[in-house]
Amino acid sequence: MKKRMSAILAVSVMASAVAAGCSSNDNNAEGKESQAANSPSGSPSGSAASATPSADKPLKFSISYPTTLNDGYAQRQSDLSKEKWVQALNKLTNTEQIPTSIQVDNMPVMFAGNDIPDVVVANNGISDKSLAGAVQAGVFMPLEDLLKQYAPDLMKNVPQSAWDLETYKGHIYGVPDYLSNPNRRATFIRTDLLEKAGLPAPKTVDDFLNVLRAFKKLGVENPYQMRADFKYADVILGAYDVLPYKDQFEVVDGQVVPKFFDADNMEKALTTMKTMFDEGLIAKDFATVDVNKYFQNIRGGSAGVWSQNAISMPDFVTNLDKSTPGSKVDIIPSPVGPEGKGGYFFYAPVTRAAYINKKVDPDKAIDIIKYLNWMQSDEANYFFTFGTEGDTYTKDADGKVNYKIPETKEEIDEEGWRGGTLFLAHDGTMNRLRLDLDDTGKYVENSFDTVLANEGLPGIGFYPDLSAFSKYPDLTPQTDVGPKLIVDHMVKMVYGKEPISNWPKVIEEYKSKGGDEIVKEATERYNNKDGVVDIER
Amino acid sequence: MASSTAPAQAFRPHADKPRKLAPIRKHGVLYLLSIPGIVYFLIFKYVPLFGSVIAFQNYSIFSGIWHSPWVGLDQFRRMFDYEDFTRILSNTILIGLYDLVFAFPVPIVLALLINELRLLPYKRIVQTAVYLPHFLSWVIVGGIIINFLSPTTGVVNHVLEQVFGIDAVYFLGDNSYIRTILIGSGIWKDSGWGTIIYLAAIVGINPDLYEAAQMDGAGRLRQVWSVTLPAILPTIAILFLLHIGRFLDFGFERVFIFLNPLNSDNGDIIDTFVYRTGLIDQQYSYTTAIGLFKSVVGLLLVVISNALTRKTTGESLY
Repeated sequence: MKKRMSAILAVSVMASAVAAGCSSNDNNAEGKESQAANSPSGSPSGSAASATPSADKPLKFSISYPTTLNDGYAQRQSDLSKEKWVQALNKLTNTEQIPTSIQVDNMPVMFAGNDIPDVVVANNGISDKSLAGAVQAGVFMPLEDLLKQYAPDLMKNVPQSAWDLETYKGHIYGVPDYLSNPNRRATFIRTDLLEKAGLPAPKTVDDFLNVLRAFKKLGVENPYQMRADFKYADVILGAYDVLPYKDQFEVVDGQVVPKFFDADNMEKALTTMKTMFDEGLIAKDFATVDVNKYFQNIRGGSAGVWSQNAISMPDFVTNLDKSTPGSKVDIIPSPVGPEGKGGYFFYAPVTRAAYINKKVDPDKAIDIIKYLNWMQSDEANYFFTFGTEGDTYTKDADGKVNYKIPETKEEIDEEGWRGGTLFLAHDGTMNRLRLDLDDTGKYVENSFDTVLANEGLPGIGFYPDLSAFSKYPDLTPQTDVGPKLIVDHMVKMVYGKEPISNWPKVIEEYKSKGGDEIVKEATERYNNKDGVVDIER
Repeated sequence: MASSTAPAQAFRPHADKPRKLAPIRKHGVLYLLSIPGIVYFLIFKYVPLFGSVIAFQNYSIFSGIWHSPWVGLDQFRRMFDYEDFTRILSNTILIGLYDLVFAFPVPIVLALLINELRLLPYKRIVQTAVYLPHFLSWVIVGGIIINFLSPTTGVVNHVLEQVFGIDAVYFLGDNSYIRTILIGSGIWKDSGWGTIIYLAAIVGINPDLYEAAQMDGAGRLRQVWSVTLPAILPTIAILFLLHIGRFLDFGFERVFIFLNPLNSDNGDIIDTFVYRTGLIDQQYSYTTAIGLFKSVVGLLLVVISNALTRKTTGESLY
């Protein structure tokens, strides 16, 4: 029985990874992150019950939640408004919500059809593609006055940078799920292999390469697990601080430029990766290694070092225990480059946000804001994390929670729906309540506090997007993938099909194909403080 | 769909009204039956054509067709100004051409071969086997082929290394193999399915013709050449014309699944470009303009080749 359970679990994990792979720039969906990453880290104050909508009549509103899954928990319900946790939530907050779960790709169709629910939830910030420019087109209600008056906890707890991402022309439009810690990704290593090789954990890029070489000698198939387009395979780019991503602009000589303009460091990073390629420390066919193959290798035990969200630790521990008995995984500080930098890009501080249709009448909007403010309470945190007391969890006399940790795909999906989808307006970095329940969870918390807190790469981002991006699709970076033009050249150089010393020419090509316009607009907006977000700790 | 009233009108241009309507009255029920079909085509095929006007606008889903600003030919200008457009267009044309030259004849040959099989159970098995890949989605076919050709775990490279002692080749990491892979995967997936129509046409050939040919001393090859092929030529001509109409529509999925930075110089086609800019960046007007361009080229090709085939074979679509 147990065996079958775990088989189902493995399949479900694979399925969620597949779904994640389909969404190109949804930073919510990678791995199992969306299921485990929720809830405030601290315990915000605020009277729980009184913050819920005040009217005696239940607050009735329609709401759409974005999804990237085709076969998620929500899709399997015949009537979402009758779903167990929606009902429980309604009861708890005196609301009557009519939820729908909509594919992010279908959201523009929803807007085009002008059939827009009272509350629209969308991933990322106001310029996310799924919103199709709805904020700019005036579909939603400006919220800053309501927030000031009716959402004191949100105003206190949500970081300013997150509000900045939800602001357009001076008005706040979205109530965000935010990240108090922008650093989420980490370097994982198989400690058992490291011990076998008799080496300490690598600190610099040079150490790192030596460890990989030792792993290679031990017969590890993928000393460092690469992946197509350098997605989740950018530890070297991070060490040299040349990540070509959307929120990785920097100021150089009074101009705001993408970090890959730093030709010197880029060439060093590419040379390092070419060495790794030539010596077989990364797969010869990494240009075609997709998300499935990537996870398959890691979980199957054929990868030595890899980059992934810290929150995915339990996944790796579970799967490696099964596939490679005796294996041991650790999160280590990422190797640093010559300038002492290292790690991965800082995420923009918003993962998801709720927008209110401007056609909603003001009284109802006030109640919706109060409902969102309630999400900051302990009551909400316990509800979304553990469910209903007496049903899914019990509390000992000393307040210790006994929660049945979900095992089957159905149970995991149900928890994801309750704790990941329905839980709005909260800190999504990690759910300490939930992580505290087991050792792996505690390990992840510890890694966030001791490892991730000390690394990572800040940058400048623009919200809404630079308008020049839409003119030049090949030059447009995504959250964690570089512009096509840049990635193409990088891959070719690592494969030795183009000399690395050509990088300055690549920058020239980028500039002449429209990059000049991008840099000009970025610099202007930076100087005018127009939708500029400094993504830092 | 051509109307049968045309000849009647041509005969008597000045005929009085009752006569003009006579055929309609005579076949009233049949005309009535045709109405749903006509309505279907009007509503679902012709009305949407007007949506193409957004190619001349800067379309926003919030303003709709009526309120989006008109921009004339800007979208088309932008398309031709795009630096890589010539590369993408020539890739599209070349791949379309290879598809026509190499993939189009395969089902014909395959149908002729299947037709020659005498053992019925074996024939059925072969037919089922060649139809099967058609029902797999491109994502799956792509996955299979990528694994098959992988330099580390792929069967092909194992054979190359073990049997021939050649170093592993990263087939998908090279511009020079991508077109072959694209066409080859198409042949593997769809040529079996393509035989259906030819086999149906072959079944319709009068057996007397073969008998007569045998009497004249024709062998099997000669029969194929002189009886089967001429008999299915009209079918071939029609399918050829239909294929020409879709010349630039090689398809998005089947290319996208194989593309990576190492082979996109030769593999990137209009469809994948439209996907990148249109669906990811939601530039509806721009991509409609590109789609319109493709359709116009397709229409021209059909008109030209239709005229050509009518002259050479006497067969044509209209």
